[in-house]
Amino acid sequence: MKKEIDSDKAFIRLNNVAKYYEMGESVVKAVDGVSIDIKRGDFVAVMGPSGSGKSTAMNLVGSLDMPTKGHIFLDGEDISSLNESELAQVRGKNIGFIFQQFNLIPTLTVFENVVLPMALQGVPQYEREEKAEKILRRLDLLDRREHYPNQISGGQQQRVAIARALANDPEVILADEPTGNLDTKTGLKVMDFLTELNKEGRTIVFVTHSPELAKKYAHTIYWLKDGKIERVTKERKK
Amino acid sequence: MISRELINYSLRNIKQRKTRSAFTIISILVGITTIFIFVSFGMGLFNYIEEMSSASSANKVLIQPKGFGGGMDGAFAFSEDEVRVVESTSGVYSATGVYLKNAEIEKSGVKKYVSILGYDPKKPLMSDVFTLNVYTGRELQPGDRGVVLGYNYLLPNKIFSKPYELNDNIILNGRKVKVIGFYASVGNAPDDSQIYVTNDFMEELYSNSSLSYNWIIAKVDTKNIDRVVKDIEKNLRKERGQDQGKEDFFVQSFDDMIESYSTALDIVIWFIVLIALISVFVSAINTANTMITSVLERVKEIGVMKSIGAKDSEIFAIFLFESSFLGFIAGVLGVIFGVALSFLGGKIIESVGYGFLQPAFPAWLFIACIVFATLTGAISGALPSRSASKVNPVDALRYE
Repeated sequence: MKKEIDSDKAFIRLNNVAKYYEMGESVVKAVDGVSIDIKRGDFVAVMGPSGSGKSTAMNLVGSLDMPTKGHIFLDGEDISSLNESELAQVRGKNIGFIFQQFNLIPTLTVFENVVLPMALQGVPQYEREEKAEKILRRLDLLDRREHYPNQISGGQQQRVAIARALANDPEVILADEPTGNLDTKTGLKVMDFLTELNKEGRTIVFVTHSPELAKKYAHTIYWLKDGKIERVTKERKK
Repeated sequence: MISRELINYSLRNIKQRKTRSAFTIISILVGITTIFIFVSFGMGLFNYIEEMSSASSANKVLIQPKGFGGGMDGAFAFSEDEVRVVESTSGVYSATGVYLKNAEIEKSGVKKYVSILGYDPKKPLMSDVFTLNVYTGRELQPGDRGVVLGYNYLLPNKIFSKPYELNDNIILNGRKVKVIGFYASVGNAPDDSQIYVTNDFMEELYSNSSLSYNWIIAKVDTKNIDRVVKDIEKNLRKERGQDQGKEDFFVQSFDDMIESYSTALDIVIWFIVLIALISVFVSAINTANTMITSVLERVKEIGVMKSIGAKDSEIFAIFLFESSFLGFIAGVLGVIFGVALSFLGGKIIESVGYGFLQPAFPAWLFIACIVFATLTGAISGALPSRSASKVNPVDALRYE
């Protein structure tokens, strides 16, 4: 595995990364030569209109997708050269995903949804159940533990998704439009919780198309347009 | 290794798609049940044959007319001299002629035609060959002018509505004859409906017609049985003035009979098993189809699983477990149905007089059927499981 020598500062580094899709005859440049340095403990928003490549960039950061060009480093390790099984390990251990659609497993209960990522990492039975309980308590979901996703509200589902993302205690939380399917009040609660996680030292990267949300919560905002970074702004937080 | 959570996830999915899972199970189950039933009856028959070949019949040779009818058409006959020729062949310990005729029996005005068999009670080769054991009463003895009846005469609504009892009189060819014994069931209707008399009494019963032997049974030296069979053939051919290959009789050792019987049986059983295998093959395709649908329905879930750290091999294991589990359940149910139906079939066959045709339930058959069904599930699920494991997580998460 290639080590990035001067990556001390950057926890997540995208080095001239491009992702192209072939659509018949033409090539769509979803992300085109993007370089991003995200420091450990940063709260990052990726902004941009539809089709700007923000979700693709997010998938690349989350090692869900492989770049066509360039390198991605996570904590100094080049993850763009890993095989599928190694990538799955990286995702499971280091990254927690939160999706707009919540994406809970409908056939599993709230509790089982939270336990699953730990089971995939081989956390011992006793430990994973204890930990799942702890996380659910923190998210005020313990009384919903035996419910199935379709038996709870959207806000609760997103909290379960956050609980699941926290299961393996990842350093990075990637949230793709986490408030997109929630009413304003519930959405803000979710964002407040992400802030809390950030204060614990976790690196948060979220995709949004709402400048208000980005400005209110993020420390660093990457503005994407046509697959390229248009500008980067820093927000001063109290 | 597949974890408890992943097994739980698989089982929930099977439960979630109850109807489809049930149909998949049924489709495999039908083939497995069929295989179980036929192999079970086949094994039962092989056991029966084995018993026969190890029984006292093994050192006997049967000389019969060629063609159908067992020599009852009257055109075929062995003479007493020919019995002597057989007996004097080297390697033959003793030989006896057997009469076989049709007889008319009557009870309460109802007439029936059955076969009557006459043999020499001094040489009870006959009862050895057909493994006849006395059920009640006694064996025939020289000078007896009574009959020993097959087992079916003891049963109501078999020969006549009312059964016979020991010491009853049976009206045989219009003449009252005493019943001195019954043979235990041999397990096949013709033999169990037979009437047995001594040779002398047979000659008395059929004094108007010319009577000659239909079969010759010989007890031989088993060590040289093939040579003895050839010698009997040669001597008998000479006595009857026939050319080689043009004999109107054939000499068969019990080993030969059992062998030809087992070969025929083998072919029938394997043919049926082959048909059952085709049905299992069709069900495997059906299972594969079910699994493909299941993968397509869960593309997004696969994407989610991958995003939370599931490896390709774990996704493969989840789907493979599901299809194997469906196969396993089909195997267990198939075996249960197989036992029930074989048992029921055995009872029905027994009630119509073929008690020898009974299913056998060896442990390996249970295990083999369940393993085979599980493998069928696993093999048919392998390809869909592979395609599930290769799903691209980004495409999968976008999939609606």
